[in-house]
Amino acid sequence: MSLEITPAAIALIGLLAALLLHDVTTIKNRRLLALQIIVFTAGAVLIVCPEIARRLARAVGIGRGVDFVLYPLVIWLVRESLLTRRRRHEDEAKMTEIVRAMAIDKAHFVSGNGVSRSSAPLQSDASASS
Amino acid sequence: MYDPPVRIAVLMPAYNEAGRLLDTLTELCRDRGDAEICVFLVDDGSTPPLARDELRAAAGAMPIVLARHAVNLGQGAAIETARQLALRPRFSLHNAPFDAFVTMDSDGQHRPCDVLALARAIADGADVALGNRFAGGSNVPLSRRLLLAFARSFERVTTGLALSDAHNGLRAFSARAITRMHLTHNRMAHATEFTQQISRASRNGERLGVIEVPVSVRYTDASRAKGQKASGAVAIVVDLFHGFLFGKGSP
Repeated sequence: MSLEITPAAIALIGLLAALLLHDVTTIKNRRLLALQIIVFTAGAVLIVCPEIARRLARAVGIGRGVDFVLYPLVIWLVRESLLTRRRRHEDEAKMTEIVRAMAIDKAHFVSGNGVSRSSAPLQSDASASS
Repeated sequence: MYDPPVRIAVLMPAYNEAGRLLDTLTELCRDRGDAEICVFLVDDGSTPPLARDELRAAAGAMPIVLARHAVNLGQGAAIETARQLALRPRFSLHNAPFDAFVTMDSDGQHRPCDVLALARAIADGADVALGNRFAGGSNVPLSRRLLLAFARSFERVTTGLALSDAHNGLRAFSARAITRMHLTHNRMAHATEFTQQISRASRNGERLGVIEVPVSVRYTDASRAKGQKASGAVAIVVDLFHGFLFGKGSP
């Protein structure tokens, strides 16, 4: 298997190197960083030596080496996108509950005459808030 | 025969409304007639926060309960906070329950006389009274008419309710109905959530009497700029889809 150092390969490797350099200086989670280095290195190998991907693709019945890389990548990205949205959804729901609880706790009359301003016991409030 | 005054809890979200909100409160206080109104005002993270003194000056003798969200969550979340507040015994008027719970915008679009009409419909026995701006002589812009026609069709398909005006912010609920409304959509999809929950309650055998009441919505340049746009309709559909997908409504 020979190396194919094309302009596109050089550009892609440069992009990978720049991203990795950025993340090495910013990501503090070492495990995540190690995983990223492994994935990026594998990607770089497939870029400069596409014959590996071609052989793997033929071995599993996929025509092109690039498809062998792309198919699982797309599936993984869709899954990640859904998981991220769900997590954001849950986080925002939790934040809403917290913000609302604080707002209700601090709510008060600001105007009005003849209004009963006494605070009822909290447990009776809680039972009324279904 | 003595007809006691209607006791109304007005659920009012406010976000950066400033002067328009104060005018709305002043007008509501002035035109409330013999109705006993308490406004549950939720400041949804306005900058700067609503000033107590200004609210007090605007509302006069009309009671206001003020709550503030530390961050902006959206109109649906603010209405839900107001709903929960209005059900708390410590914020009752003279320790008696409210007859009607009315959602009302804070930007001056809604008229106090329509709030009273909706509350009167609840006092007369309806569980849910929905404002119908198309029967009340509102100058609804054409773009808004088209958008609302789409919303109407969407709600009819998804909830089975054939409403004339599906997304009007003026709605009134009886005490029985308001306890069955629990908003989980923080933003504008809450309007659809209301109709979904009305429909669901009916399917569960708790049939809620729903009527539509003609109301007039006052459109101004400011309200047009702030109101729903086509992009907003897309956002509502996306929010509803997320709620369907993830099960708990879209914050």
